[in-house]
Amino acid sequence: MKKLYTLLVLLTLSVTALAQNGRQLYNKYSDTPGMEAVYISPAMFRMIGKIPDMEFQDGEVNLSPIIKSMSGFYILSTSNASVRDALYADVDKFIKAGQYELLMEAKENGSVMRMYTVGDKKTVTSFVMLAREADEVSFISFDGQMDRAQMEELMAQMAKE
Amino acid sequence: MKRIQDIEKLSIEELERIGADESIPVPADLQVRLPRRKAAKAWSVAATAAIVVGLGGFAASYEPAPKDTFEDPYLAYAAVERAFSRMSAGVNQAADKVAEAEEMMDQLNYWNK
Repeated sequence: MKKLYTLLVLLTLSVTALAQNGRQLYNKYSDTPGMEAVYISPAMFRMIGKIPDMEFQDGEVNLSPIIKSMSGFYILSTSNASVRDALYADVDKFIKAGQYELLMEAKENGSVMRMYTVGDKKTVTSFVMLAREADEVSFISFDGQMDRAQMEELMAQMAKE
Repeated sequence: MKRIQDIEKLSIEELERIGADESIPVPADLQVRLPRRKAAKAWSVAATAAIVVGLGGFAASYEPAPKDTFEDPYLAYAAVERAFSRMSAGVNQAADKVAEAEEMMDQLNYWNK
C-alpha cells in the first residue's frame, strides 16, 4: 500500500506541475485591462520562416536562426497596479515549478530582470524573461528548438550594442 | 473424507490421478472461491487511480490555444524584434554592471601594485 500512496502523491505532484505553463498564464491575463498581450503561434512562425525576402536583421544582430527555430511566443506586460503583483507571483511560481535555470539577473534601484532557460547543453527548449520595474511587470516567453550556442552568441551581440 | 493437511501431503502425480478419476462424484453444492491476492488487488486500485488522476489532471491542465495576435507575419516578426529590443536593454544593464565591476577591480589592482 505504501507504493500505492507514493504513486498517487507523485501523480498529484506531476499534475500540479502540468497545470503551470506559459499558455495558461497567457490565457489567464491576456484579457486583463491595461495588459499588453502578444501571442505568436507555431503556424505563424512557420509563415515567418517561409518569407523569402525577409531581412532578419536588428541592427547588427541577426535574429534569423533563433526566430526560425521558435514554435511559440508569449508577451504579457502591464503597469496596471491591481494585477502586477499577481502576474509576477504567478510567473515566479511557473518558473520554480519548471526546470528553469537562471541565465542572467540584473538589479538596479529596485528594478529586477531575470532570464531563464530550459534545455540541455546544445538546445534551448524554453526561454523566459521576467522583469519588474517600479511601475511595470513584463513577461516574455518563447519555446522551440533553439541552438544554445546561437542563443549565447545573440546575447553577447546584444550586450555589445 | 480427506482433510486439508492430508491433501497437502499428496504428490502432484497423486493429485492428477485423483483429478482425472471421474468416478469420484463432485458435490452439487460445491462452490469454490479462489482468494484474490492482496498485491494484485492493490495494483488494480493503483492502476485505476492512476488513470482517473491522469485523465483528471489532463482535463484540468488542458488550455485552449490562444488566438494569434497578428495575422500578418511581418507584424508578428516586428513584435518579436521589439521583444528582443527589450531583452537587449536588460542584457545591456547586466553588461554595464559587469563593466563597472571590472573597472573597480582594475583600480583596486592598480592601487595594490
